[in-house]
Amino acid sequence: MAAKKLRRARLSQELCERLSRHQITTCQDFLCLSFLELMKVTGQSYYDVQKLLRQVSRACAPKMQTAYEMKLRNSVNPSSAFLSTTLHSLDKVLHGGVPCGSLTELTSPPGCGKTQFCIMMSVLATLPVSMGGLDGAVIYIDTESAFSAERLIEIAGNRFPTYFDSDEKLFCMTRSIHLYRELTCGSVLNRIMSLEEEIISKKVKLIIIDSVASVVRKEFDTKLQGNLAERSNFLTRGASALKYLAEEFSIPV
Amino acid sequence: MQREVGSLPLAPALRARLVAAGFQTAQDLLETGPCGLSKEIGISKEEALEVLQVVRQECHGDAARTAGASDATRKCTALELLEEEQAQGFIITFCSALDNILGGGVQLTKITEICGAPGVGKTQLCMQLAVDVQIPECFGGVAGEAVFIDTEGSFMVDRVVDIATACVQHCQLIAEAHQEEDHLKALETFSLESILSHIYYFRCRDYIELLAQVYLLPDFLSEHSKVRLVVVDGIAFPFRHDFEDLSLRTRLLNGLAQQLIIIANDHKAAVVLTNQMTTRIGQSQSTLVPALGESWGHAATVRLIFHWDNSQRLATLYKSPSQKEATIPYHITSHGFRDVQPPAVTQNAEDTEMNPRKRPRREEEK
Repeated sequence: MAAKKLRRARLSQELCERLSRHQITTCQDFLCLSFLELMKVTGQSYYDVQKLLRQVSRACAPKMQTAYEMKLRNSVNPSSAFLSTTLHSLDKVLHGGVPCGSLTELTSPPGCGKTQFCIMMSVLATLPVSMGGLDGAVIYIDTESAFSAERLIEIAGNRFPTYFDSDEKLFCMTRSIHLYRELTCGSVLNRIMSLEEEIISKKVKLIIIDSVASVVRKEFDTKLQGNLAERSNFLTRGASALKYLAEEFSIPV
Repeated sequence: MQREVGSLPLAPALRARLVAAGFQTAQDLLETGPCGLSKEIGISKEEALEVLQVVRQECHGDAARTAGASDATRKCTALELLEEEQAQGFIITFCSALDNILGGGVQLTKITEICGAPGVGKTQLCMQLAVDVQIPECFGGVAGEAVFIDTEGSFMVDRVVDIATACVQHCQLIAEAHQEEDHLKALETFSLESILSHIYYFRCRDYIELLAQVYLLPDFLSEHSKVRLVVVDGIAFPFRHDFEDLSLRTRLLNGLAQQLIIIANDHKAAVVLTNQMTTRIGQSQSTLVPALGESWGHAATVRLIFHWDNSQRLATLYKSPSQKEATIPYHITSHGFRDVQPPAVTQNAEDTEMNPRKRPRREEEK
């Protein structure tokens, strides 16, 4: 939204050309300047600049919705608002399960079962909606190489023996879980940024990252001065990209 | 009348031409007239007319200012301000201890900043306030609408539904206890649907969308004149990452703060911002301080800091022009933001929600 070109904000052609001579081509550049700078650059009066500012703002501002509309949208298909974890007490505490459209973080000391939980959630996501799943593919970003496909099949076979009664169904399920092994922060970030098209093409309904902390701790030593800023930079960029994906496609992450 | 041409709000190129043609004061311009102006400078007659209109507008403003007319300026006596402040409403938070240390609740026309570590309850309080601002006047509220600008995506509609249901139930209890006409009439319009439809939600993904939205807010508020609360949940989040140029960040934040102050004053609305915490590494220890730096600290009038103390949540009033510094404990229940119940009362766990602690406070207000 911010990188929207000024041309598409319906400013006049000559104004756009004039601004591009000062290297102002996107809405972001325009809105970052102060009033005086804008007057100098556009050559227009104070009141006209105010009008221009409002016009450009309208091009990038988000749409308004009332809380009531949001509630109606959620209540239209209640099953799609959460992914049930099939652990009843956990579902009760979470008000239905892992929420779609936002980030959920799972933390624990090592060995408690985080990766097992992630594998189970992947199986659940591939189940059809009638059985409480999301009937979609799963993107699993593995940074610790802890994902075991055999364990996946074991869980699926023992948990839902009636559904996964044939090998074919098992293969179908495993085909829809896409595993990416990333070992550095940079590659994790690149992978997250490139996910948008994959989500649409593969009909992904769940993104799992296991785990964020391991790559970050490997690469950034917090005792060194500059690394703290870089680390938080990486984390916030990754977080905002994931939030965007979660909200845009209404899937749990 | 003796105003210099260089100080008029005209386009820079036009100003340069006027000065080059020898016009020094606004008086000179007005004497020449549009046709003469257009001939001398070489602009069209319509443009010359526009220039003169701008000049006249400015000069009228100046004259009114020098004559001391009080409606052209914002000048008024302290007595008038006192009367205004006393008549002003507060937005209650349903936590009486917090309302007490704030002097009645969140004040209108002021910017209140809430800082705290993640998970301590900032967004909960914002959602509570967005519901509380809509309480009708006969129950002690300001009967306004709310604008919620979300940058972090932590607004959960289901949670607002819970909070709003509890609020409506609370008001219904009061109405049953008092049985007054206007209470019952107000209750008819104060329902879950109406509460939710008067919360206007904007989701801003980055700082440019936030800036754009704040520029458009005055127009929005003029259309929806009943808005009494603007919440920006997460003002720090879009500014903390991907910002290499710190001076640009400071400038944008200051501009944002000024815009919000203007909005708060013009529309008699309360502005609530939530901020994150960052670690300041000192010589021997590190402390948690509000993010966005020292210069941002001047933007908010009232600053609340939420923190933990061994699993008890505490709220500290850190900066306020009229109240003294104090710390109180608070609780987040399934009904929203509430007081901590004193140990003696928690023995009967079933009716802690309908606790008489809340009702007497209401009755005192009548």
